[in-house]
Amino acid sequence: MKDLMRLRSLLGTEVEALLNNQIKMEAYNSSVYLAMASWCDRNGFDYSADHFYKQAEDEREHMLRFFKYVSDMGGTAVSPSVDGIPQEFESFREVFESALELEVKTTQAINNIADKCYKEKDHVTVEFLNWFHKEQREEEYVARRCLELFEVIGEEGTGRWEIDKAIPSVSYGNE
Amino acid sequence: MSRMCKKVAPAITESYQEVFRTKSGCIYQSDVEKSLLVEFANKIARFDIRCLQRLKNAVFSINLAEMATDTSRTTDVEIISLCACEHCYVLTLREIINFRELLAGAFVMFELNSIIQERIYSIPVYA
Repeated sequence: MKDLMRLRSLLGTEVEALLNNQIKMEAYNSSVYLAMASWCDRNGFDYSADHFYKQAEDEREHMLRFFKYVSDMGGTAVSPSVDGIPQEFESFREVFESALELEVKTTQAINNIADKCYKEKDHVTVEFLNWFHKEQREEEYVARRCLELFEVIGEEGTGRWEIDKAIPSVSYGNE
Repeated sequence: MSRMCKKVAPAITESYQEVFRTKSGCIYQSDVEKSLLVEFANKIARFDIRCLQRLKNAVFSINLAEMATDTSRTTDVEIISLCACEHCYVLTLREIINFRELLAGAFVMFELNSIIQERIYSIPVYA
C-alpha cells in the first residue's frame, strides 16, 4: 500500500503544525515590533522607531520564509490571525526588555522545531532551520546590546536621548 | 431550465484496500486512484489524503462535553462540512465518537505504513 501522506507532503503532521505555529509567532513578533515603533515615534525616540520598523519587516520576512517552505513542501500553510498586541509600554527601557524577551522566545521555539525534526529524522527541515539559527544569533545579540546601552550610558539627564542615537549603530558583525 | 444532477456513490472496487475497520465503518485506500473511501453513516464518500486530514481535524475539534451537557435541541447534532469538499456529515454525539475512533485508527495505520515504507527503502542493499 502506497504511503499517500508522504507522497503528498515532505512534512510530518507534527512538524507541519509546529511550523504553522512558528508562522503565527513571527507574524505576532512583526506586529509587536510595529507597536514598539509606534510607541517610540510618539515619545520622540526617532532612531529607535526606525530600528523597530526594520525589525517588524525582518519578522515578516521570516514569517514568509516559513510560510513558503510549508507550502513548497506540500503542507498547508495557514495564514495567521494575530491579536493581543501590546500597544503601550511603561518606559523606553521596557520596550527593549520586551524586544529581548521576544527574541529569546523565538530562539526557543525554533530550537523546539529542530528537536522535533531530529526526532523524526527530518533532516531536510533541519537544514532549512539552520538559516534561522544563525539569524537568531544576530537577533539576540542586537536585542541584548541595545538593552545594555541603558546600563552603559545611563538614563539620567540626556541619557535616553543618547541611547536613542546609539541604537542604529548596534549591529552584529562577527560572522 | 434547471438540470437535475444525480450523484453516484463511489464504488469500492478491487483497487481499494482496507485501511481500518470498526463496527461503525471502514476506510479504504486505492493506490491506483490515489484516493480514500470513507464508509460511514450509511454513505460512501471519496477523499484525498489532505481532505481526510481536514475532516479528522474538524471531527476532533468538536467539543463533546459541551454537546453532551447542553440541553438545547440545536446541539443534538453537529454539521461537519469542509470547504472545497463536496461531502457533508450530520452526526449525533454517538456517531461523532464512532467517527473519531474510525478516523484515529486509520491515521495510526497511515503512520504505521509510513514507518514500514521507510524501513523497507532505508535498508541498504549489497550486491
